Amino acid sequence: MSAVTERPAAAPARPVSPFGEAWRMFRSNRPALFGLVLLGAIVAAVGYGTLFHPADPYEIVWAPLAAPGEAEGVPLGTDYIGRDILAGLLKGGGPTLAVGAAAALITVAIGITVGALAGFFGGWIDNLLMRLTEFFQVLPALLFAMVLVTLFSPSLTTIAVAIGVVSWPQTARLTRAEFLRIRELEYVTAARAVGARNGRIIGRVILPNALPPLIVSATLTVGVAILFEAGLSFLGLGDPNTMSWGLMIGANRAYILEAWWPVTFPGLAIFLTVLAVSLVGDGLNDAFNPKLRQR
Amino acid sequence: MSAVSPDGATPLLQVEDLHVAFDTRQGAVTALDGVSFSLAAGETLGIVGESGCGKSITALALMGLIPAPPGRLTGGRIDFAGRDIARLAESELRRLRGRDIAMIFQEPMTSLNPVFPVGAQIAEAILLHREIDRQAARREAVALLRTVGIPDAERRATAYPHELSGGMRQRVMIAMAISCRPKVLIADEPTTALDVTVQAQIFELMRRIQDEFGVALMLITHDMGAIAEMADRVAVMYAGRIVEQGLADDVLDRPLHPYTRGLIDCIPVLGKAAPDGRPPALSEIPGVVPPLHLIGDGCAFADRCSLAEPRCRRERPPLTGRRHGVACHVTAAQAT
Repeated sequence: MSAVTERPAAAPARPVSPFGEAWRMFRSNRPALFGLVLLGAIVAAVGYGTLFHPADPYEIVWAPLAAPGEAEGVPLGTDYIGRDILAGLLKGGGPTLAVGAAAALITVAIGITVGALAGFFGGWIDNLLMRLTEFFQVLPALLFAMVLVTLFSPSLTTIAVAIGVVSWPQTARLTRAEFLRIRELEYVTAARAVGARNGRIIGRVILPNALPPLIVSATLTVGVAILFEAGLSFLGLGDPNTMSWGLMIGANRAYILEAWWPVTFPGLAIFLTVLAVSLVGDGLNDAFNPKLRQR
Repeated sequence: MSAVSPDGATPLLQVEDLHVAFDTRQGAVTALDGVSFSLAAGETLGIVGESGCGKSITALALMGLIPAPPGRLTGGRIDFAGRDIARLAESELRRLRGRDIAMIFQEPMTSLNPVFPVGAQIAEAILLHREIDRQAARREAVALLRTVGIPDAERRATAYPHELSGGMRQRVMIAMAISCRPKVLIADEPTTALDVTVQAQIFELMRRIQDEFGVALMLITHDMGAIAEMADRVAVMYAGRIVEQGLADDVLDRPLHPYTRGLIDCIPVLGKAAPDGRPPALSEIPGVVPPLHLIGDGCAFADRCSLAEPRCRRERPPLTGRRHGVACHVTAAQAT
């Protein structure tokens, strides 16, 4: 039939997607792997820890401010009204992580939408959206979040939304920059040349190629959002009816000179979580960076 | 003015007096200045010229893909299948692209989406224009890969672009371009980025595709050798205008425009030696294509031309002749 067949080049046995390749890179990165394991451990502890330590974090179990180990069954001591700190950590981790994840999702959703439209269409749409972005960017984030939380009831949803609303500009700018770069590439013109419409070019052609830095940024946003939630709770603006790590620190801060444990353990939990998330984020960053990728 | 195909057949695509301008800081710059040509089914038209002379803009104009802003179509018609596609709405153009007029790009390295397997990309292109289910589109994509001579097509369909060689990727591009049986195929320097040996294979493939599907091919290149090998007719472009056009044999054997002669002289001849036994000096056309905003009233090539007369700098020569046309004051008398 055809005389024009090319000599079969040495192709790998199984095709490797660029994302598969990134995972291969990630696996060989020790700090990132450590972060992932740590994060997994924290999530597991928060998810299943109450099975091994089934105490009620709201119940007074011992005298106030009992040191760790002083009372049996209360390994991390009690807080200023005698509640079990370990129970609080296990129970409060869920809301903390959930707020972090939800806030990151909101950030990414707004940021990608705004950035993609601005970068893809350019012109007045870009101008309008970027001015809007700048408007949100110059607002002091913590103050603005405080205003939002005080205006509405301080529930977990409000806090997540408030954090999302103040942190999207960065993601939007990053997305826009990626779109500006990628929309000039030949495969975008090629996609137009086969008759693809704008929506498809944005969603199926440019976005998948813009994802790596956005994934990294979203991961790091989770860490920032957790710190943000802790800050708001510390200032007494958190949801007082839901146990969270920030709330524990905030509630016990007045007694820090007499008892170090009620604030140190939740603080350590926040620290480890943010560290784990950051390590994973940095690992993803390296994994997606083709310059560091060696075969 | 309109060019009639030599065999008298009704052209499939007829471009008449096409003008494209780009808005720049120096004001509007004319990128295409009255380009006219025609293309019949099954025919190959070569468009030759240096970088920046308007070849690619011509191709993009046919696809309705002139980047706007800053570019815009400022005049002329593109008649295709009874319609002037220069005036179609974007939604209608989109239906045309890929289905009726398809394009192959210069850089097979960068013209495929790096994050999807090549088979899926071809299937997507098929699904844009045809009402078939995803499974059928996949099967069709594999069949197309087989058609363009990719061995082990079943497996290669699941490969990502970075896992294929340049020649393979260009075959994938060709498979995608012919997936909806287009009537016109525009190839913008399809072999420039490839090895010489692979170039020959790609040309052979394109000829076979043309025979099989009866597609009209518009081959954009700066390589006179490619023209000699592939084209039935040639249009030589310089600074946004066609300066010579005719049958490929006529133009190559008897170039009329000094620019065309220069291009042909630039092809090194293997084994030709100067009297002293050393390889001859490579000939070149002095100077570069002038920036488009600096082209005055005269012939745009005058400053680089060895035959230039005072008149050439004053008056722009029209394209004269029907069978073998040239836009040159000095050699116009030889046009046929």
